[in-house]
Amino acid sequence: MTGLCLDGLRPALEGVIASVLATCDATGTPNVSMISQVHYAGPERVALSYQFFNKTRRNIMETRRATVLVTDPETLAHYRLTLCYEDTHTEGPLFESMKAKLAGIASHHGVEDVFRLLGSDVFRVEDIEPMSGPVTAPPPNRPSLLAATRRVCAGLAGAEDLDGLFDALTGGLGAHLGIRWSMVLIAEPATGRLYTVATQGYPVTGVGAEVAPGEGVIGVAARENAPIRIGHMTRDYRYGAAMSDGARRSGLFCDVPRLIPFPGLAAPRSQIALPISECGEAVGVLFAESDEINRFGYEEEDALALVAAHLGARMALLRQEGAEAPDPPRAQLPAAQGQVTVRYFNADQSVFLDGDYLIKGVAGAILWRLLREHDARGRTEFTTRELRLDPGLRLPAQAENLDARLILLRKRLDERCACLKIEKAGRGRFRLLPGCRLILEEPDAVSAPH
Amino acid sequence: MADESPMPSESVTLPPDLRALAQSGCGVAVASCGPGGTPLLGLGAGCRIGVGGRVRVLLPRAPNLALLTALEGGAPVAVTFTATRDHCSFQIKARRARLCPACSDDLPEIDRQMALFQDGLVEIGYSRLQATGYCAHQRADLMALELIPERVFTQTPGPGAGTELGA
Repeated sequence: MTGLCLDGLRPALEGVIASVLATCDATGTPNVSMISQVHYAGPERVALSYQFFNKTRRNIMETRRATVLVTDPETLAHYRLTLCYEDTHTEGPLFESMKAKLAGIASHHGVEDVFRLLGSDVFRVEDIEPMSGPVTAPPPNRPSLLAATRRVCAGLAGAEDLDGLFDALTGGLGAHLGIRWSMVLIAEPATGRLYTVATQGYPVTGVGAEVAPGEGVIGVAARENAPIRIGHMTRDYRYGAAMSDGARRSGLFCDVPRLIPFPGLAAPRSQIALPISECGEAVGVLFAESDEINRFGYEEEDALALVAAHLGARMALLRQEGAEAPDPPRAQLPAAQGQVTVRYFNADQSVFLDGDYLIKGVAGAILWRLLREHDARGRTEFTTRELRLDPGLRLPAQAENLDARLILLRKRLDERCACLKIEKAGRGRFRLLPGCRLILEEPDAVSAPH
Repeated sequence: MADESPMPSESVTLPPDLRALAQSGCGVAVASCGPGGTPLLGLGAGCRIGVGGRVRVLLPRAPNLALLTALEGGAPVAVTFTATRDHCSFQIKARRARLCPACSDDLPEIDRQMALFQDGLVEIGYSRLQATGYCAHQRADLMALELIPERVFTQTPGPGAGTELGA
């Protein structure tokens, strides 16, 4: 060994500059090809993507040896890695991480069936040889990523509720990590769909926008419960295009009726999505993107994974805190005047205000329940407990993210309607604030037989 | 080109589109087999193809000593050419290659291909600094590697990669 460590080569394993792989068959005939991924798999190992049973794969199975050439995109130093094959993972975190990266690329290009990871071939790195040649200096005076991560996590500790936690997160990412565009999505346990509860940096908040499991980098990160990132969208796009000339460039997210437009960048160059986990299960996704190429590398992935883990822990802690907080001051709405027609469609639990779409799903059902209670009994004060216990809301058995739904509902009302608001009224309690006369209609309600 | 000796009977004539690709300023990777079956790997700087079909790959000597030593000792060779813009790629193989010094004729053509290669890298999103640095080499260090392709394979990423031309 030359004394070089693989950790120091992680920028060269980002795939910014294509890697080259050489193998030989048992008779010594060489084979050389480009390789999709040379994935960092620990201080002494890399994993190569196994996508097709081709000559490279046959050679590896025959001889267990390979040599790969990687290039650091900043210093432009080339390194030759001498590899010894150990085994192939077809499941587990490593496989899921590499599969998710490929799946994200495939979803982006609509070539899911072609771009499929069959296995992660794990190799022990026996030697690292720096190749001679001109090398540029790395950028000087780079800020400490670890210190910035610590500051972001410290900011989360000061949040007193979920809403404040999300704001502290997205604000902290911008202030300390220079991440201008970010969002938090929370998973719907029953369907696996993710809905946006907080965003930063976009012209419209897009709160309420939904992502299906497996859709784009966000959906894949949630489904696989593994971080995924695309650091060089242009290269990835062209790589996908080369595999299927007819592949259409599909949008990252589906386009269905009654959908709040996704607030993402129109032309991102880098994206990263990290699962927010509780007890090993993905309950949400932290997403960030950039207009820069290769904005998020292994180091940023580690930093954001720490932040996402901290976020998940803070979310669980906030939920478990039972102490009653003092009632916040009640918001003052303008004196009630005018009227708004609220229509509720039971089929998809969607709510429209004077014909304008507001929200659907569980959040829509919650709002409709509150409005009917208010209409029938004049109630304005409610508890999250009664919502959890209401079978009519069809809440999942484990409705841990009810608070996130209420945040979503409150933000949507703040954005769309000056005459109806929801505010916190203490821990576990909230208040409905109608600012005008509300006319409730349920066009697809089943009439009771006469 | 220094040598236009007769082609061996096993040789394969590259079709015009592959000849064009190889000389268009593409990525060039060279591999051979070292002692104990170790795969040896290096990057080429460019390629010239003679009238008779002889492929002349230019590559720097210093970073590729083990590779060049194996080739000088008669080890087989594989060379892959990859277009930057669409990743179209093909691979040639031969049982042996001949090493010789780069000649003055090589340099203008390699400069031309390097310029095209850098432009291609910039077009797909690399910075100009990255493209220039990636292609940098010492002209005085260049060696020429000559081979007659005996087998040719498509190498464009995807399930069809590895298909042999004329098989």
